Amino acid sequence: MICPFCSLLCDADDLDQVCCRRRESSLVDVTKMRSWRASPNRDSESLPNAKNALRSATRILVTGRILSVQTARAAVAFSAKYNATIDCAERGHAFKNILAIQRSGLNSVSLSEARDHSDVLVVVGDDQLLAQVPRMPSALANENGDKRTVLLIGDFSEASMSIWREAGFDVWFVPCELNAVPTALAQWARWSDSNRDSLSIAGPLFEKLAQAPYTTVLWSAENLQIESADLWVERMLQWIATRNESTRCAALAWSSLDGTFLQVCTWLTGFPGRIVFQAGTPKYDPCRFSYREWLAQKNTTKKVKSVLVVIDESTSATPFLEACDLPADMHVIEVTANSKTFPTTMAGVEVAADMFRADQTLLARVEPSVEPRSDTKSAAHWLEALSEW
Amino acid sequence: MVTRLSGAICIDGVSKTEVRDLYLDGEMIRTELATHTRMDSEYKLGNHIVVAGGIDLHTHIGGGKVNIARLLLPDLVSHRNASSDRMVAEQPWLKPLSSPVPGTWETGRRYLEMGYTACFEPALLPANARHAHAEMADTPWLDTGGYLLLGNDRLLLEWIRDGVPQEQINAYVGWMVHAHQCCAVKVVNAGGIDAFKFNQRHLSVDDSHVHLGITPRQILNALSQAVDSLQLAHPLHVHCSNLGLAGNISATMATIDAVEGRRLHLTHAQFHCYGTDGPHGYSSAARELADRVNADQNLSIDVGQVQFGQTVTLSGDTMHQFANRKLARPRKAIFQDLECQAGCGVLPFRYRQDQYVHGLLWSIGLELFLRVEDPQRVFLTTDHPNGAPFTSYPHLIRLLMDYDYRMSIFSRLHPDVQKSSPLPSLTREYSLEEIVKMTRLGPAKALGLNNRGSLCDGKLADIVVYESGGNPEQMFSQPKMVFRRGQLVYRDGIFLADSIKSTVVSSIEIEPQMNAMLEKIWRTRYGYSTEMICVRTDELQSERRVVEAN
Ligand SMILES: [Zn+2]
Repeated sequence: MICPFCSLLCDADDLDQVCCRRRESSLVDVTKMRSWRASPNRDSESLPNAKNALRSATRILVTGRILSVQTARAAVAFSAKYNATIDCAERGHAFKNILAIQRSGLNSVSLSEARDHSDVLVVVGDDQLLAQVPRMPSALANENGDKRTVLLIGDFSEASMSIWREAGFDVWFVPCELNAVPTALAQWARWSDSNRDSLSIAGPLFEKLAQAPYTTVLWSAENLQIESADLWVERMLQWIATRNESTRCAALAWSSLDGTFLQVCTWLTGFPGRIVFQAGTPKYDPCRFSYREWLAQKNTTKKVKSVLVVIDESTSATPFLEACDLPADMHVIEVTANSKTFPTTMAGVEVAADMFRADQTLLARVEPSVEPRSDTKSAAHWLEALSEW
Repeated sequence: MVTRLSGAICIDGVSKTEVRDLYLDGEMIRTELATHTRMDSEYKLGNHIVVAGGIDLHTHIGGGKVNIARLLLPDLVSHRNASSDRMVAEQPWLKPLSSPVPGTWETGRRYLEMGYTACFEPALLPANARHAHAEMADTPWLDTGGYLLLGNDRLLLEWIRDGVPQEQINAYVGWMVHAHQCCAVKVVNAGGIDAFKFNQRHLSVDDSHVHLGITPRQILNALSQAVDSLQLAHPLHVHCSNLGLAGNISATMATIDAVEGRRLHLTHAQFHCYGTDGPHGYSSAARELADRVNADQNLSIDVGQVQFGQTVTLSGDTMHQFANRKLARPRKAIFQDLECQAGCGVLPFRYRQDQYVHGLLWSIGLELFLRVEDPQRVFLTTDHPNGAPFTSYPHLIRLLMDYDYRMSIFSRLHPDVQKSSPLPSLTREYSLEEIVKMTRLGPAKALGLNNRGSLCDGKLADIVVYESGGNPEQMFSQPKMVFRRGQLVYRDGIFLADSIKSTVVSSIEIEPQMNAMLEKIWRTRYGYSTEMICVRTDELQSERRVVEAN
């Protein structure tokens, strides 16, 4: 059984007992899980109404939480058909990494490679990292027998440290403002050349870092709640690239479950989303075609008819639309768990789904563990129905 | 549904090239039908050529590295503008791809537009297998298959170090090919990708892996034995050591020796046959390699021809891609170490006509084509997108068929290339039959695709109709019609119908005891079950998709 509740996609047998994400999700009680999401109740319409709105629309945005290859394919095809804008990077997390990679490239490592082979792990972030991916330390612990070092940089509590310790790591902690981490790392690199006193980090730890044959630097985009996070990522990537001139070092830039959409959209269209289709051809602009920009644009004339299509096949408790401040005349089509017209199954929970682990290396087939409610259909089914002429 | 194609010149390299009628009966080709069979449709094709659908046995169209290249390079996507529209209107056959790594929709469309109906992804990382198959499923019109990347999987390397019996390696290779739904085995820089993870920056055929102490020769030997003992249709598909380095011909020859006379396919051979002579210490060793291929029936190559212009190089060979990092244009690159199995390097690159080495690579590729005598053992590839995007095939065909045209481009190269290259002395011009053998019959045989590659009775009715006459570049860029499985799917620039696609897999039996053994190893090494990575046959089957064995 593979569990899709966080972006790690673990397949341990004891997940129901040991995984807090899974325990909290009350997987056994889908009714309860559905009731988590307050229904926005915007969609008291029929399929023909929705199709009419789409056909007469002058601007359409497709957004939401798309977690499976199956739904991503359908959403991109739907957008191409209606010449829509599509952006499914939830709160823009994934683009923190993508924008940096598109500017200056990447040295990266996948999870199991880091688990098997990396001597030193540098984990940057705060306690939220383990709330998002609770099993990360055990996924990175190997059974090779040698005690490996994890250096936690940021704002970690004793509780976080002890989880890493229990997973078998030799844990070091350096408190540091997230913003300041790239500068701190750069200073340590310089320290190897000259004054060893100006360092706030323990000498032996630095020696470990300097001599590590293979260092993995891990952060999660979702956990990077800082201004201009893409610039932060870019500086981290440059630091990693420089180290590779002499030794080996790589980023494990963790995304979240939205990575699946980005992969599929990239292979179909050449771009990771934030595109608008014009006569079936995708145009990409990560600033102009983000869902935030689309929603921020005010209708200037009455001729503009905007339709917002929200897809949500996640198990998230928060409705996607809650955070959005929508104008009253906006036509909204919801393809979500609580939609009245287009009630949708949850990917990997109620319906089989292909989902990427968040290092974007492994694509797993996640089989459902719960019977879907009888009135629900997959999001892909609804999107196909909405694009039939 | 029965269709008659009448009056066309039929070319397949098997039967005599002549004007004859051909019948498409359901999905099959028939050379004769019972008299009075009712025709559902008939096409009178005087002044046309009929050939089988093209087969590209080495093109990067799916999996992690292709997608990461797309992600890295949105800036290489050229949108239409007035001048590009004008160019397309005047010379429609020159229509460029929107990017060297276009999306799957465009890839499928453009391959079909050239008359190709089957394409094979040659470097499918085990961990990326489901991804690669999903991506190829989204590439319309093309039948697809993948070669499994082995020879840098740390488990296998450790087994070779530990001297496990060859039978265990055979069983492992069979299990892996089966579990990942592949049809062949590929090795890239044997052991070198893994050695780079241990910060080793060079590894030739008889050098030792810095951590494991084994040599590429041992790995190549073990894998070629496994491929033969499993009776895989396609020989071991090898990307040699020392990619791109001056003098690498010695490593290429050592690679051939390493497999001790077993079957071997050397891929993008152009990148692996350099000497150290000449004014810049970098010269052609195409003659040496071609002589070897001509003398050895067990040896085949594809060329990986370079064409001038912008492209992106993507390879599992992290070691050498990293070594070239400063050559990236635009200046950015991606290097990945992946899942104790392999890695990848993505490096955008611009081949320049006026640059000595780039001109040399161009001439070496052509030398190989012209020196290898049997067109069924040298295949037309650009190692898309590494040497050039696949849409340059028609141009490449013209270079092979037309000496004067070839020389007109040669005369623009760096003067030192013109002084040192033997290309002007190679006056061979490929015939249409030879081009057809190289792009249809040969690849079908090399891959064990017994149901395609020719126009013989009973073959799959993947048929391409070209207008004859005119220059071959124009001809091969613009088929008149394409049939897939007997159905007309493309005519005069218009796509008429979707088609069923098949995934080609190998039909080997696996040894059950491998299951339990690998399950235990996977749990320890990767932290997950083998079931997480195994691709089931029913996943590959859908309404418009079937699975066939080679
Ligand atoms: Zn290749």
